Amino acid sequence: MTPDRKGETVLEVRDLHTHFFLRRGVVKAVDGVSFSLRRGEVLGLVGESGCGKSLTALSLMRLLPKGGAQTIKGEVLLDGENILERTPAEMRQIRGRRISMVLQDPQTSLNPVFTIGDQLREAIVRRKRAPHAEIMKEAVAALRRVEIAAPEQRIGQYPHQMSGGMKQRVVGAIAISGEPGVLIADEPTTALDVTIQLQYLKLLKRLQAETGMAILFITHDFGVVGRMCDRVAVMYAGRIVECGPVRQIFEAPQHPYTRALIASVPKMTGPVGRLTTIEGQPPSLMDLPVGCRFASRCAHVEQRCLDAYPGTVRVGEEHTADCWKVMPA
Amino acid sequence: MSEEVPLLRVEGVRKHFALTKGILFTRTLGHIKAVDDVSFDIRAGETLGLVGESGCGKTTTSRMILNLEEPTEGRILLEGEPIHALRGEALSAYRAKVQAVFQDPWSSLNPRMKVGRTIAESLIVNAWGNRARIDERVRELLVQVGLRPEQAQQYPHEFSGGQRQRVALAAALASQPRLIVLDEPVSALDVSIRAQMMNLLKDIQEKDNVAYLLVAHDLATVRHMADHTVVMYLGKIVERAPTAALFEDVRHPYTKALFSAVLVAWPGQAAAEIELKGEVPSPLDPPSGCRFHTRCPNVMPHCSQREPELREVSSGHFVACHLFE
Repeated sequence: MTPDRKGETVLEVRDLHTHFFLRRGVVKAVDGVSFSLRRGEVLGLVGESGCGKSLTALSLMRLLPKGGAQTIKGEVLLDGENILERTPAEMRQIRGRRISMVLQDPQTSLNPVFTIGDQLREAIVRRKRAPHAEIMKEAVAALRRVEIAAPEQRIGQYPHQMSGGMKQRVVGAIAISGEPGVLIADEPTTALDVTIQLQYLKLLKRLQAETGMAILFITHDFGVVGRMCDRVAVMYAGRIVECGPVRQIFEAPQHPYTRALIASVPKMTGPVGRLTTIEGQPPSLMDLPVGCRFASRCAHVEQRCLDAYPGTVRVGEEHTADCWKVMPA
Repeated sequence: MSEEVPLLRVEGVRKHFALTKGILFTRTLGHIKAVDDVSFDIRAGETLGLVGESGCGKTTTSRMILNLEEPTEGRILLEGEPIHALRGEALSAYRAKVQAVFQDPWSSLNPRMKVGRTIAESLIVNAWGNRARIDERVRELLVQVGLRPEQAQQYPHEFSGGQRQRVALAAALASQPRLIVLDEPVSALDVSIRAQMMNLLKDIQEKDNVAYLLVAHDLATVRHMADHTVVMYLGKIVERAPTAALFEDVRHPYTKALFSAVLVAWPGQAAAEIELKGEVPSPLDPPSGCRFHTRCPNVMPHCSQREPELREVSSGHFVACHLFE
């Protein structure tokens, strides 16, 4: 990947719908999500529990949980190719090499009964045949790349002999060993202490600068967004309600939900007083309203908000919001 | 701190856990110094924030305050009375006065018990009154935490995470405690729900004059909630100050690193960031001298030899660092 290809769209998601088909009804967990991701870019995907951000990621990986989840509509274009149409066998070739994922809990991502070396080897062997010594050399190099000290010793250790931060680095090493063009990071630092979180985020940034990969960074923490992301998409009840450059979203959020969400975060500076809250609950994903999904909690609600979904309005350079009341740019 | 008797006083408390090997012929391999000479006061109706990373001893400290753990050395006094000497009824009375709300709202409630019963539990144990009075009190408590009285008949699975945390708070409030230990009370909650819970905690404090020990890793939460803040590292207090003073003027190099690692959401607002190298050393064999010297950006030759003492650098602001001697 040469630097001059930076800025080229590597992943495009169009009108993605992933629903759970249960006996009780249909849970529309992802219901019309569209975004694009460019080479060398970090796009943050933020939202609260149950907004569909993790399920969006799993839909892109084609790793939906068992029990009725199905992607029923939409396109996921990876380098222009719709991977929703690929067979499971083809997907196994795509995962790890072209699109890869890091999950929140390194404890469950690693197998406790195999050494770190075994697990790295598994990832390397899947994409090339080479003598054992050469593969182990590559595994050591992969650990060194994620800044693990004394990788030659670490390679023979088991996950329980490592700290949480180190395990998450190992998971990262496995995820990027196939040089994927897209890395999905689903809350990778939520389980880590703050000083370790900072180390990990800086490492991800360095790796990105080296490889030019695009990162879809899923988080609920605006602090992480501010540090890591170029652009951010805010999800609410299965849809992206606002998307734009990080600075613009922080300084001039357009959607009332984004505004309320940012206002309710306790700050490190400024007055200490009552925090702004968002009253009420998100709508049930089994029974979504016809209009704007935030209408029941919105302070600026009008009749038209209840009657129809607003559609995506372009409010600025690369900045969109799904709201009736925003001014089109 | 003032001369009056504080609500809770923690005095030179240490907790060392023996690390042993073998079942029949047990050998002691060493001691984990989870908490090592910690002192602070909590006054009635105020909030003390206890911050630090995993393994700093904040949970062990709160467990000792809850009388779930005996200190190896030192003592803890509630209204002037040593709590670890309490037995029988006096201990029950203590448990009524000091309550707790834990991090995980999914595991802290009994899934087979209606929440009304969970809330009533401490009232029943203490023979607080007859059934009708208890039911009335449960309804009152539910209203106080922002739920509906009829929700007493529901089971925990019918509630969202934020609502469960409210139920846990109602249960803690039932016995009219003087102190509630809040162990990461909002970190499992979503941003918008977190703000609701923080406001609720403040309202209840204002009304009932209850004190909180807030154990948290999120500095912004502590800033909004706590009157005083204690920062711990590897079992020791490194800095202690009124919260406003601390956030204005961070002194200890560890606290500085901790503050700089907080990801300030607003781009361009972040202070010069200090990335600490490596990880927290093992409490089994903590570094000599100042425990932070292995990772400290301002390390001096004598830091590894002498342990710094907590000293007052400005009114009420204590720092344990050789830079301030």
